[in-house]
Amino acid sequence: MRYGTTIVDDIGNEHPRRNLRLADMGVLEERLASEPKENVAEIRSELRSLARGNHDYEKSLADVRAEEKSFLAKAPERKKDFEKALTDSDDKIRTWNLGAMESAVRAEFYERHLELSYDFELLAKKHRMLAEQLPEIANKRRKTLDELHEVTGELERAKKRDQTQAVADFRQYRESRLKQRDEEKSHLKKLHKEGQISSKAFANEKRARDLAAAEDIRSKKQLLPLDMLTDRVRYLKHRLRHDEKQAMTVLHSDIADLRRKTPIEISKRFPWVSYLTIPIPGLGQLMLGQRIKSIFFFIGTLYAYLIAIPYALGRGNYRGQGVFGLVSLAEGASRLDRSVIFMIEGVIAIILLMIAFLIFYQSFRDVRKNEKRMIQGIRINNWFETRTAASRSGFPYFASAPSALITLFIVLLPIAVTVLISFTNYDPSHQSKFNWIGLANYKQIFLGQGIAGGPFWLITGWTLIWTLVATSLAIFIGFALALLVNQDRVYGKRFFRTIYLLPWAVPAFITIMFFSIMFSPDGPLTNLLQQLTGEIINVKNSPWGTRIVLILLQGWLGSSYVFLLCTGILQSIPGDLYEAANIDGATGFQQTRHITIPILLFQTAPLMIGQYTFNFNNFSIIYLFNGGGPFEPSKYGNLAGSSDLLISYIYKLTVQKQFQGIGAAITMIVSLVLIFFTWIGFSRSKSFKEEKL
Amino acid sequence: MSKKKEKGLYLSDRPPLTPLKAVLLTISYVLLFFYVFVVVWPLAQIVFSSFNGSQTQYIRIGGSYAFSLKHFKYLFEETYFLNWVVNTIVIAVATALLTLLFVSFTGYAYSRYRFKGRKASLMAIMLIQTIPSFVGIAAFYTMHSIISAVIPGFSRQMFLVLIYAGGGIASNTFILKGYIDSISTELDDAARIDGCGNLQVYRLVIMPIVRPMLAIIALWSFIGPFLDYMLPSILLSDPKQYTLATGLYTLITDVRNMHQPVFAAGGLLTALPIIILFIALQNQLVSGLASGAVKG
Repeated sequence: MRYGTTIVDDIGNEHPRRNLRLADMGVLEERLASEPKENVAEIRSELRSLARGNHDYEKSLADVRAEEKSFLAKAPERKKDFEKALTDSDDKIRTWNLGAMESAVRAEFYERHLELSYDFELLAKKHRMLAEQLPEIANKRRKTLDELHEVTGELERAKKRDQTQAVADFRQYRESRLKQRDEEKSHLKKLHKEGQISSKAFANEKRARDLAAAEDIRSKKQLLPLDMLTDRVRYLKHRLRHDEKQAMTVLHSDIADLRRKTPIEISKRFPWVSYLTIPIPGLGQLMLGQRIKSIFFFIGTLYAYLIAIPYALGRGNYRGQGVFGLVSLAEGASRLDRSVIFMIEGVIAIILLMIAFLIFYQSFRDVRKNEKRMIQGIRINNWFETRTAASRSGFPYFASAPSALITLFIVLLPIAVTVLISFTNYDPSHQSKFNWIGLANYKQIFLGQGIAGGPFWLITGWTLIWTLVATSLAIFIGFALALLVNQDRVYGKRFFRTIYLLPWAVPAFITIMFFSIMFSPDGPLTNLLQQLTGEIINVKNSPWGTRIVLILLQGWLGSSYVFLLCTGILQSIPGDLYEAANIDGATGFQQTRHITIPILLFQTAPLMIGQYTFNFNNFSIIYLFNGGGPFEPSKYGNLAGSSDLLISYIYKLTVQKQFQGIGAAITMIVSLVLIFFTWIGFSRSKSFKEEKL
Repeated sequence: MSKKKEKGLYLSDRPPLTPLKAVLLTISYVLLFFYVFVVVWPLAQIVFSSFNGSQTQYIRIGGSYAFSLKHFKYLFEETYFLNWVVNTIVIAVATALLTLLFVSFTGYAYSRYRFKGRKASLMAIMLIQTIPSFVGIAAFYTMHSIISAVIPGFSRQMFLVLIYAGGGIASNTFILKGYIDSISTELDDAARIDGCGNLQVYRLVIMPIVRPMLAIIALWSFIGPFLDYMLPSILLSDPKQYTLATGLYTLITDVRNMHQPVFAAGGLLTALPIIILFIALQNQLVSGLASGAVKG
């Protein structure tokens, strides 16, 4: 990159170079590109000499720097002189006034050397501003302090005076005001009894009177001398703190403004610091002068070198070997070192490494951006500016970081582990040590082979039947009940609603377990069935008996929610629709068919789809009713029962029968299918199409 | 109409009842009351059997009935019922609080800020939301032993809370984000001009408005652990640590421990507060579910 003769500040204004050496080099470089070849050697040698720093400008700059050094060294002496002139006793005011006096002197010094460097210009402007603003801030504080002093004195005096009269007056006022309120209220009550105002209006008005009276009493109380003065003291103390904070913010923003408008000149042309900082985040920030920011990145460095990388290499693991555990899967290790531990720790190591990589990358990007800006002529942020920017644009990241971490470790980590397990032979004979076996599990499932994979298709078939029939039944019952209850002429809507809510309100596991009891051999419902049909029907021993009862039971359980939902929507359908239909001569049946049902279907469709996925995964009803049974070893083998859904089969495989490998593979298939369907539903939804995320 | 007028003034808005409609209405009432019976009968059985002293291990119907509180006595004295109640409530409260904390931040950030990676992470949230929570069952148990090796006091119940809360972040973020989206940003701007910071805007302006939705999220996160059987059955092994669902199940599966009437008593005690909660808040609960699904 060439030096050029101008530099650009943060708001995009061009400035001429003040560093004459760089300016000359810029001119030479331009000539190098345009002039004929015979001059090249000469220009090159001139450039080289300039690059080494041989320029009159450098000498004069060095002189001024030396002068500046001795000038700054005298600051303590000047401070002593200034202190003699100070009259105020408040510490903060003294510091500010001292700062203002020193700044005035400094501004004068730098203003003499403006043309030499933009750094001097910035310092001059900054100190000029401080010299002007600090006394103002100090004066404001002085005024508030004086006022506070005065009010405190007044409060002390007031405390000594007799306040009984004022307090008595207030009490009298309060009583009379409360009395007035009660009179108003009793008047309202009369109106309500006579039927002039509704119960709701009565309640509202009563509340309004209460509030009005309380408000009046409070404002009267604030007029009591003691209360008023105490309030005033509190207010002034708050103002002292608040004014200072605000003034400092304004001051810092003004300085930031100056920094944006004043460019910077450096002789660096290549952002080498950013490459230097790649292995050590924080170093580059420190080298560019962003000290506090670098501390945060150094913490990141510590994390990477003390936690993430050692962990990934196997240090500090619970039992595993970091990322290597993913390859070895504890092969040849002791009996307690189970493969699954090695696998989980391998995944943790990868997550930690990814976080570390993110820190490295962010640090590199940050330094590179800032370095490039500096080369261009822009001053990079000081801490005040960084902090302001971070609190504005960084807030969403800070706010979602804890959730992201939890999701990473509690949700994504188990998912990743399950994905990995599905490629291993984690089964009863390989509980402690298992190996990678590629796609063998998936093959077994698709071909329906093996003890665990055998019943897969049978179970899938029943799962689909169950999902479709049980959900549709529940939706049908709920719909029908909602339509019946919400007819015009049906009385006792509230009663029916409360009753029909019950199956939803009682925790499902309780009702399912209780139905399971009632259908057990010799249970109440089994006996009832026997009385009705004359035969002994043992539901829990017959596959289709169990299945039918399960579907009916889900109809019973699920209809409640559908009913409530539909009732809510039915009540929100505007009545004019029906009136219009009536005028046009539509019968009640036509109204239901052409108005009610379409609206109901349209509005509840997404929720109904949710009901289908819910039932697809409805573990409790299957497991708690009959444990997935009854067992049919000839068809299902020993692992599954004839009413098992995929989810309860996964549960049995993973938790009870220790076929985790196959269980994980089935889980993956089920999840992928679910994600696929949800994705289709979502990508067709309105919010997605309108890009309203 | 004219016929009616002769008898007296017909005051109703509705057209008069025709015989066909009267029949239909009667059928409706019959159906409605039949379903009332279908709903109430099994639930009534739970209540009856829990108070029926003449039954011991199994529940019979049509047998003798003697009012007694002995099943409740057994529940409190011979089982860990109180432990289960306390466990469940602690887990539920912790889950609700943790979920609220996480979701408040994410919902607010996603609704009000435009930042790099926002859309991508929203997509990710969408997909995570669809992955069923049972996916991780193979890993949970071992994960807990690893975490508890690093943090010694980390109990299985705490892990359960983390799983519940972590699993709820994605969907609840979506619900809350949708709700905050519907609030005008002019309110925020006004607050910012008055000098509020990021968190102050949330605490003083947004939170009071979204409180109903926060209440719904808290309520659902609270009820979740009451209803779940699978995760506690995987993670908790000591009967004293059980939640209500896993604990009550032991009363009807274990042959040695079989006490069906006691189960009915425990179920009754568990269900009552939840029923009251549901009846009192039915409208909010339904609308909360609805908004979540519509946004999804």
